[in-house]
Amino acid sequence: MRMSSLVRKVVFWVFVSGVAFFLVAPTLIAVPISFTTTAGIQFPPEGFTLKWYGAVFASRDWREAMLNSLIIAIATSALSLVLGTAAALVLSRAKFRGKTILLGLLLSPLVTPVIVLSVAMYMVFARWGLSGSFAGLIAAHTVLALPFVIVSVLASLKTLNANLELASAGLGATPWFTFRRVTLPLILPGVVSGGIFAFITSWDEVVIAIFLADVSTRTVPVMIWTQLRAMLDPATAAVGAILIAISAVGMLITYKLRPLNS
Amino acid sequence: MSEVAAHSRRPLPAPRTGGWWRHFGRRRGAYLWLLLPAVSFLAVFFVYPLVEIILRSFPDSSLSFYQRIFTSTLYVRVIGETFKTSALVMVICLLLAYPYAYAMAHASRHVLVVLAIALLLPFWVSLLLRTFSWLILLQNTGLINKALMGLGLIDAPLPLIRNQTGVVIGMVHILLPYAVLPLYAVMRKIDGRLMEASSICGAGWGRSFVRVYFPLSLPGVYAGALLTFTLSLGFYITPALLGGPRDTMIAQLIAIQVSEQLNFGQASALAVVLLVFTAAAFGLFGLLLSFGAKARRRAVVA
Repeated sequence: MRMSSLVRKVVFWVFVSGVAFFLVAPTLIAVPISFTTTAGIQFPPEGFTLKWYGAVFASRDWREAMLNSLIIAIATSALSLVLGTAAALVLSRAKFRGKTILLGLLLSPLVTPVIVLSVAMYMVFARWGLSGSFAGLIAAHTVLALPFVIVSVLASLKTLNANLELASAGLGATPWFTFRRVTLPLILPGVVSGGIFAFITSWDEVVIAIFLADVSTRTVPVMIWTQLRAMLDPATAAVGAILIAISAVGMLITYKLRPLNS
Repeated sequence: MSEVAAHSRRPLPAPRTGGWWRHFGRRRGAYLWLLLPAVSFLAVFFVYPLVEIILRSFPDSSLSFYQRIFTSTLYVRVIGETFKTSALVMVICLLLAYPYAYAMAHASRHVLVVLAIALLLPFWVSLLLRTFSWLILLQNTGLINKALMGLGLIDAPLPLIRNQTGVVIGMVHILLPYAVLPLYAVMRKIDGRLMEASSICGAGWGRSFVRVYFPLSLPGVYAGALLTFTLSLGFYITPALLGGPRDTMIAQLIAIQVSEQLNFGQASALAVVLLVFTAAAFGLFGLLLSFGAKARRRAVVA
């Protein structure tokens, strides 16, 4: 009896560690590959060089793509933070008919297949003169990012003690002043992590960008997509390693703000 | 700011009235306009484009595009293939996720943190990049084939990409967290004393697991199945990069209709079909979830 329970435990933990390894290892292999001295991609890599990072920053295409990605991701987080925080404030307090349906609408971009959205936006945006423009990409990415901001801000608002707002009101503050000086500072962790989610959503988004971007607005994921279909080059791995670093920073900030068990 | 934060640590009893607009607005809905920007934004950039593809898929209220989808052997095969791949991905995800979530739910705090980081790190890294990694690992000269040949287990490289194996591996890797997280959320709340009670009553571990623990975890299983299956249906990037021509999924057909054939009507009809399938899968699993809740109550009572 003892023996069999020990065997069960060992098998169980070997399995679980195997799954953890399956999750993590392939996520990170772009990092070692980016240092290879060989001309082609290979794993395990050979030697150590930073020349692929040099190649990325020397290439006008990659530099432009990074700038485009950055502009679009920052604008997307700003826009979705303004829209999403305002909506979350009302949704957390007000009671009105159809609130559940409205919340469903606001969160439905999360479950809509991205390819459907891409095709739909591609057709409509072409008519509106938005295809290939920054405005079009920012609008499209904001649709995807908005649910993340709403969920994140709503979660913070739940923990907020409404007495503090009442106290501020009782002392004669205007609603806007109360929001700026009482509510916003208290829900800031939720707002910041919502903003980071929005940034990463846009920064990593590829399908919509493939359809909507043109040569002058193409983002980093669009460039990687084109590269992957044409040829594999360690410079792509270097870009990948940069993306991993950015994601890791986002992840660290978010979990610093919101511990794992909440 | 810091004074306010200090106050918040000593919470007063929550007031019965809602919040600040009760006191500023004359009417209860005085601040509802704050919803307007988000709602109108989504109406213009999300709802309107979806309405547009629905209208485009019925030119002059003719069903010809839909007819073609359900009569052409190519489309029918791709739809069948999409369902098969999604079902396979769902099953594998659940099989890997169940023990993983169990470990997270019952491990010590340190192990939990390690497992959670391993789970959430890939969640944060671009999907395209992870597909790229699999492309490198699974190719004929990739690490996995080299290792297997080095060990003398195989003579010729196994075909791991440009086929269903590659697609399924890539998709499971991306969707696994969506199966683990709902399972973990449910398992964390399962009362450990129920298992103890079962063993005091003389049941072995296996019997207690099957009769007590597993039924209680079913809502998590259904939620994980729902998420992995419905998200699988719309996958585009992974099958396009890791699959071969025979592993085309609906999303790729839609993309081809738009970017190569320029047949927007057909693409719209396919997109509507995909939307309907996704919604139907949600409805079906929603039903299962409510059954799951009932089973849970029964198990607790029994």
